Amino acid sequence: MGDEIKKLECEQAITMILEYLDKELPDHDHEAMDVHLETCRSCFSRMEFEKMLKGKVNALQIKKAPDSLRDKIKKVTGKF
Amino acid sequence: MPDRDFFSNQVDVNLDRFYAHALLMTKNEADAEDLVAEGIAKAWKAIETLENESRFVPWVMRIMTNHFISDKRKAREKTKHIEYIEEYSDDAEHFSLFEQLHQPFLLWWGNPEKEFLDDLLQKDIIAAIEALPEQFRVAVLMADIEGLSYQEISETLEVPVGTVRSRIARARSALQKQLWEHALEKGLVSQESEGLS
Repeated sequence: MGDEIKKLECEQAITMILEYLDKELPDHDHEAMDVHLETCRSCFSRMEFEKMLKGKVNALQIKKAPDSLRDKIKKVTGKF
Repeated sequence: MPDRDFFSNQVDVNLDRFYAHALLMTKNEADAEDLVAEGIAKAWKAIETLENESRFVPWVMRIMTNHFISDKRKAREKTKHIEYIEEYSDDAEHFSLFEQLHQPFLLWWGNPEKEFLDDLLQKDIIAAIEALPEQFRVAVLMADIEGLSYQEISETLEVPVGTVRSRIARARSALQKQLWEHALEKGLVSQESEGLS
């Protein structure tokens, strides 16, 4: 209690968006971002865009493991 | 401690993910297979260090990443560090897809940023990641696919957290630039979109 949440300008908020999404900001900066995003439509849109892009990268499913790898792994795990 | 059945079952269920991760790192199917096999063998030997079974997948991915980096380090020592110079000559540090796409005057009538993401296919993102310099590629994989914290990445790469922070920012910027260039080539966006923001 008692610690006032600092007010962010858009310029500052923009530089903090990715670390905000990564949950890597110190608590006081994270709270300041929460407050800023509640009131700034432009930064909120930007944050949502970065969040969606991050989600797309996270959800990548590339190629299925080939049978040759499955056989190789069976040999490796068979030795355990 | 997780037992052998748990380990074998988890490997079987998650093998596609491990292979996909290795493929993005190595960009080569044969090397990816070797990396997964070596990573899994190492993981089994170190199974007693896995504290939380629910973290099995990132734990194995981290072992694979360490193995990949270690091999690269050895190779670089032989080639006198030539490979990593590309990271520091990259000019993509402040590229933002959002800034390229965002058109304030369309705020209430359209959403070009969302449309862009909707049109973006998995293969577009994979191509963009594969086109990144190696250190950027590894940073994106660790942060955005493995979901590691900056501290965990710092420990894995043996670099300060501040370096991780900067590398991830640059990696994402480079990725966005690759996606933008890819989208221009495919006609998903037009050159006219540039500079409207």
